[in-house]
Amino acid sequence: MKPAPFDYCRPSTVAQALEALGSSESSRVLAGGQSLIPAMNFRLTDVSVLVDINRVEGLDTVACDPGGVTVGAAATQTRVLDDDDTASVVGGLRVALRHVGHLQIRNRGTVCGSLAHADPAAELPALAVAAGAMIDVSGPAGERQVAAGDFFLGPFWTALDDGELITRVRFPAPPAGSVTIVDEVSRRAGDFAVAGLVAIVEADGGAVRSARLVGFGLGGAPTRLRTAEAAISGWAADHPSDGLTEAVMADTADAFDDIHATAWYRREAVAALTVRAARRASATRKAA
Amino acid sequence: MSLDIDSHIRHSSRHIGRSVPRREDRGPLTGKGRYVADIRLPGMLEVVFVRSVEAHARIVSIDTAEAEALDGVVAVYTGADLAEVETFPDYIPYIGPVTQRPLAEGRVRYVGAAYAAVVAVDRYIAEDAATLIAAGTVYEPLPTVADLDQALAPDAPKLFDDWDSNCSFDVAPHKPEVDEAFEHADHTFTETYVSQRQTGLPMETRGVVAEVAADGTLTVWSSTQSPHMVRTTVALMLGMPEPQVRVIHPTVGGGFGTKTHTYPEDIVVPWIARRLGTPARWIEDRMENLVASVHAREQRHTVEVAYDDDGTVRGVRCASTLDMGSGEIFMPGTAPVFVTNACITGGYDFPNMEARTTGVVTNKTPAGAYRGFGIPEGALVMERIIDRVARLTGTDRVALRRRMLLRPEQMPYVMHGGGRLDSGSHAESFERALELTAPALQRARSRYADDPDVRVGVGYCNYVEPTSPSYHLTTGHWGGGDAATVRVDPDGSVRVAAGVSELGQGNVTAAAQLAADMLGVSPDDVTVVLGDTERAPYGLGSWGSRGAMMLTGSVLLATERLVDKARKIAAHMLEAAEADVVLTDGAFHVAGSSQPSVGWAEVGTAAWVRTVDLPEGMEAGLETSGFYHPDNLEHQLDDTGKINAAASWSNGTHIGVVSVRVSTGELRIEDYIIVHDCGTVINPALVEGQVHGGVAQGIAGAMYEHFQYDPDTANPRFASFMDYLVPTCAEVPHMEVDHFESPAPEQPLGVKGCGEGGTVGPPAVVAGAVSDALSEWDVDLTECPVTPVAVRAAIRAAAGSGAGAGS
Repeated sequence: MKPAPFDYCRPSTVAQALEALGSSESSRVLAGGQSLIPAMNFRLTDVSVLVDINRVEGLDTVACDPGGVTVGAAATQTRVLDDDDTASVVGGLRVALRHVGHLQIRNRGTVCGSLAHADPAAELPALAVAAGAMIDVSGPAGERQVAAGDFFLGPFWTALDDGELITRVRFPAPPAGSVTIVDEVSRRAGDFAVAGLVAIVEADGGAVRSARLVGFGLGGAPTRLRTAEAAISGWAADHPSDGLTEAVMADTADAFDDIHATAWYRREAVAALTVRAARRASATRKAA
Repeated sequence: MSLDIDSHIRHSSRHIGRSVPRREDRGPLTGKGRYVADIRLPGMLEVVFVRSVEAHARIVSIDTAEAEALDGVVAVYTGADLAEVETFPDYIPYIGPVTQRPLAEGRVRYVGAAYAAVVAVDRYIAEDAATLIAAGTVYEPLPTVADLDQALAPDAPKLFDDWDSNCSFDVAPHKPEVDEAFEHADHTFTETYVSQRQTGLPMETRGVVAEVAADGTLTVWSSTQSPHMVRTTVALMLGMPEPQVRVIHPTVGGGFGTKTHTYPEDIVVPWIARRLGTPARWIEDRMENLVASVHAREQRHTVEVAYDDDGTVRGVRCASTLDMGSGEIFMPGTAPVFVTNACITGGYDFPNMEARTTGVVTNKTPAGAYRGFGIPEGALVMERIIDRVARLTGTDRVALRRRMLLRPEQMPYVMHGGGRLDSGSHAESFERALELTAPALQRARSRYADDPDVRVGVGYCNYVEPTSPSYHLTTGHWGGGDAATVRVDPDGSVRVAAGVSELGQGNVTAAAQLAADMLGVSPDDVTVVLGDTERAPYGLGSWGSRGAMMLTGSVLLATERLVDKARKIAAHMLEAAEADVVLTDGAFHVAGSSQPSVGWAEVGTAAWVRTVDLPEGMEAGLETSGFYHPDNLEHQLDDTGKINAAASWSNGTHIGVVSVRVSTGELRIEDYIIVHDCGTVINPALVEGQVHGGVAQGIAGAMYEHFQYDPDTANPRFASFMDYLVPTCAEVPHMEVDHFESPAPEQPLGVKGCGEGGTVGPPAVVAGAVSDALSEWDVDLTECPVTPVAVRAAIRAAAGSGAGAGS
């Protein structure tokens, strides 16, 4: 479990980082390293140049304004989790980060690194899709912005091209009065989800008005549950669950098996989490 | 040996029975433990093993040239280079013969089998070279068998060409009286129960450091549970006189059975050190550990049960089959399935049982020892049988257990497998545990009273734990005893050296307590030496819940001999009759008057230094030994497959309260109650630690840990802790522990072992509790691990798909 030889560089500007990334086809960005370094130690990832962006000027910032939160590529998950201003603007970040790994992992792991890694069972990509986050990317061809909904293409596969780097991500504030729910089934505390759901729900007078629902842990990219989004509107706490369950099953037909769970289990569980979220959201508004 | 404890205690404030603080923790807790990986020797080279990536293949060729040319690589060895090394011994006559070479030659039978070794200046370069050798290895793949069904199929590919099949052994005694019970019973049912493949998973992986001195003597530091056994085998295989081999285990970060085996690396690393004349070391990394240290627990049990309308169990037939993996391990991993069948009846009494015991090889990591050693697998079967009979006959589960549990007046009781329960609190432990469960169940029910998605259930396990077993059944070679040497030095300080090892249990503390009470001194005055073949006498190490019993027996023998001699010296110094002299709190004096007296320092000084003060004709010195070998141990199965292979038997009850979320199948152990009986307790805190750790590992088996293999290729579907799920502190529930003490009537001080019992209950308890919680769907779980997926699958199977979701 020792990595093969590689070159390491630690640039101080984005331009230097891009230059280093462009110097080899198998260059990789090191931010928190919580997934990359084990993969290198297992010799599963062939890395010739490791570009450490932790000292790149301006990438470690977390900026809040009433419209949203912008998280730089080197900002750790702990930093975002502990930031009260962030929590007050985009509450879903704190809710999601509580499910991410353990303290030691979050102390190193970064928000943008989780997006770039695109583990199908990770919480942050799903939150980004549900929240309509915008991802800033720098590369040899300049800067571009990619909507989270277009960014995740499959398991460990994103819209990032060779030589490109995420510099920051912006999570817009959710609609006023909405509830953000991040719920999942994981085998152990802190594990990646076997099945998960991010729901940003707007409810009114005890009934769900609209919701953005994203399933994760299904094997591929975070999945917008569009049929379920239609089915959930008008939901009240005592609503029968069958229609919503069927909608989620229809939305998750691409789920797949691995050693931790079967596809049908994942789909059933995401359906159960969706029903639970709908009940919770409608109940929350009733109480308020 | 006397059960009259007081006659051996010579300290007025007895230490045995008290939670004397552990001595073992300071090093590990302050980062100053000295593990094998902390040993640095000048010029030491790093060894890395190249391991098969094929589950079953002929090795056509290995190109090592590129690796050898790498800067920093000192040598590369393959099997042919080790021709002078003996093959691992094959001592057990009744199992299929396996020729295990220190490095696999010509053919590999599991992913992870070491077939080459690289020696380099550091681990990085050694791994670079290993990667090149792996790339330069040409395999001719052979068809694989990934599970019992594949291995036992009529046309199955064979692992060993000279065997008739993949069956290593099949012991099938027939008992006509069992047939009769089945004929007369009202009903019968047949079921198959399965325990999954796991491993003991010590936090410290294995490791070996070897150094050869100028005089040719070899020192081996190995993270092993049994340094003397490693020494015997290393000396045998390298053709060295045993006194020229010294094996030391420094701080050991757990073993849990996996380190009872002597592995290829224990042989190859010392061979390399001798060959190169340079110290060499190999430290197992976790990726290796998951495929190169033994696996365990993978058993299938096909059971027939005969029962009557009133719930009476008339007879059980059980065919237990062990998946041995490739079988290429020393000592062989065959014994656990015999233990399963010996212990399967647990704390219960019913009239007829016939057990068949079978071992089968597959293209997977060799199976071996793991704490529990077959007992948890059997407990799962027995408790599921009782719950099934209760359900089928409308009998209350608790009432049926009460009817079947052994009562004190039945002791000693011979089980169907031949085990002789000398004592125990089987029925009482269950009653006590039920008392403790009532409030826990109430708590859980009220916690979820308002959640219609949650069900709460209770699971039970009443088990017996064989302690201090025969090692002959397991190894075909060693017996079952251990030695201790006790010395009093001129200053009166005591030194105890024993063959038992310390891997975290607290055996150093326990040895000090025992010697202190037996010699009337403070534990602080006792220095304990374990885990070094040069400094401690021969013993088999720590496994099989034997440490406490072996220490008690061997230290007691040695101290009684020591006190006898010291009393003669003291009597001479006091000018009193030997018979009148007694030892109390470290002072020899005439019974009835505390003065005059002589202490250990004066006796020690006379024995070693002022030998002119010794009685005429007495040999100088104050050091005695004892080799304790329990005389009630049996070492061979009789014609009917019976054996009493344990010196004594502990027992216990586990009860778990488990909540199940119907919609997702998530489960949570709300409360876990343990009532435990290991006879006379030397140190309650140590016992409690053993129980806690054992239960945590039991929960691992009940709910989490599972080595899965690809059925088509026999490739592991695991590489790290992302795939092999070890419960953490967040998953291990609060435990409530209570104790009974039923002293072992035939054992020194009545002590029994307690190392393994904790692992036994959880699989049976969790499967039982979840089945109970889901009784409205008639769920009856028959396999571990019990996962959310398994729970949902059971609900779907019982009620038709989609049932229960979201309700």
